[in-house]
Amino acid sequence: MKKIFLTLIVAMISLTSVFAQGGAEDSSKVEVVNYTFGGSSTVAPIAKSVIPQFEKANPGVKLGYETLGSSTGIKQLLAGTLSLAGSSRDLKASELENNCVPTTIALDGLSVGINANVSISNLSMAQLKAIFTGEITNWSEVGGSDMRIEVIERDETSGTYGSFNEIVLGKGVEPTKNAIVAKENGEVATKIASTPGSIGYIGMAFNSIITNAGGKILSIDGVDPVPANVINKSYPISRALYVVTIGEPVEGTVEKDFIDYMLSDRGQAIVLECEFIPLN
Amino acid sequence: MATSKQNNSRRNVVEQSSKIILLLCALVSITAVVAITLYIVTQGIPFFSEVSVAEFFSLDWSPSSSIPSYGIGSFILASFEVVIIAIILALPIGLSTAIFLSEFAKGKLSKIIRNTIELLAGIPSIIYGLFGIAIVVPFVRNVFGGNGYSLLSASIILAIMILPTIINISEVSIRAVPDALRKASVAMGATKWQTIYKVVVPSAAQGIVTSIILALGRAIGETTAVLLVGGNAAVFAKYPTDMGRTLTMNIITDMSYAEGTHLSALFATAMLLFIFILLLNFIVVYISNKSNVGSGE
Repeated sequence: MKKIFLTLIVAMISLTSVFAQGGAEDSSKVEVVNYTFGGSSTVAPIAKSVIPQFEKANPGVKLGYETLGSSTGIKQLLAGTLSLAGSSRDLKASELENNCVPTTIALDGLSVGINANVSISNLSMAQLKAIFTGEITNWSEVGGSDMRIEVIERDETSGTYGSFNEIVLGKGVEPTKNAIVAKENGEVATKIASTPGSIGYIGMAFNSIITNAGGKILSIDGVDPVPANVINKSYPISRALYVVTIGEPVEGTVEKDFIDYMLSDRGQAIVLECEFIPLN
Repeated sequence: MATSKQNNSRRNVVEQSSKIILLLCALVSITAVVAITLYIVTQGIPFFSEVSVAEFFSLDWSPSSSIPSYGIGSFILASFEVVIIAIILALPIGLSTAIFLSEFAKGKLSKIIRNTIELLAGIPSIIYGLFGIAIVVPFVRNVFGGNGYSLLSASIILAIMILPTIINISEVSIRAVPDALRKASVAMGATKWQTIYKVVVPSAAQGIVTSIILALGRAIGETTAVLLVGGNAAVFAKYPTDMGRTLTMNIITDMSYAEGTHLSALFATAMLLFIFILLLNFIVVYISNKSNVGSGE
């Protein structure tokens, strides 16, 4: 047994020295500066995906993003705890008066897909809300044929779930639990296409996977879910995502660099990866 | 004399060091089990300082509502329901196949059947899941109504997945029944069929029970396949044809972005699942220790 321990210890020491060397190299070059950003949980996946890339491009800068919710984030920004806040809602007049400046970093728009055997092509926001809260359970109540509505939800921790429920149901309204829960966009598309009477939602960037699988995309309040209608604000299940700073971001600060990185092609590619709509 | 001594000592070094290397390799698996256990427990235990055990076993799971609730009772029931139905479906088919293979099948036919079963065991679970969406879900929808995504669909998929486990272990234990017993039975005037169900199968009972318990373990831990066909609705399933969510489905569904209490609730779920698997393993060890006759091991 002694020999074994000795071998293990030697192995550990040699491993730690390897890691220690790697660490020492980094810290010897530049001093590490820490920044804490935070706010909207919808912006969180974008921020958290951008941060490692940004840190790689800017050695010596350490960023963190705390998921606090939009309102808490802006409150802490005003209090000076954060120097940059993510927000998934428009700023209030009082916040703008206090010199908060929003920069749009991405658009958030969701499409509603249905199985091809459902004979409708449009729903109003009110009907959509009634379907997803479980008040309406038959397609005949919204102009379709007499058939049970099969609701398909996303998993609770996905940003898409959060966006849909905030925009369509409103804060504090619970979606029906009697729903199929799908973990991925692909799974949503497959289940919409293969389940008669089904309805589900998906990030607008992924419309094609629903139609390719054989489902239909609905217009909402008569407006088609295409990025152009999100940009002109006519499509109802959409919103802009912002990062907020106190005053215009100043050239040369980490905050400005971070915003520029988010708006760069690289940053906007990450926006798409996170299932949101890039600005260009 | 000197050279042979040298040879001896070199041999000793080789002997000793190979023994140590093998022991180290064996320690890797022990370390892995200990590390996994510690990790799950340390991540899961803090959950109970925030949420009561009673709430944990309640039927209401709504971690992201304004008043969060972390009850996994309906998932525990769903897990048991799914594996029990799977065993009920798989046992008659599996046991019959095992009897056929050990008592009747000869030559080419038995080879084909064996190879097919081995193939069945090697199919990745995602493929079972996709097969489920394409075949089993529409079948359940057409026969039983509803949308087809149900605990029953999950059970059917699991039943197919655990067939190889039941067949292989049962067959081995039936084969291990001494021929003298069969001959004695036939000598007493019993037919081949009477011999099988009155003598051979009862003698192999321990091995067959072991196969069922190992199959239970495989079924209760299966994730991907059941996730795709079970519906994954976080509700209590009144009937097997209703949608439901098992323990494993619950862990994987929310794992990606869960934070805080929600995350530790998932680890607590994993802890419970781990305990179930441990219990099943203890039962297997107990059975095979109790008597080796007919267990084939």
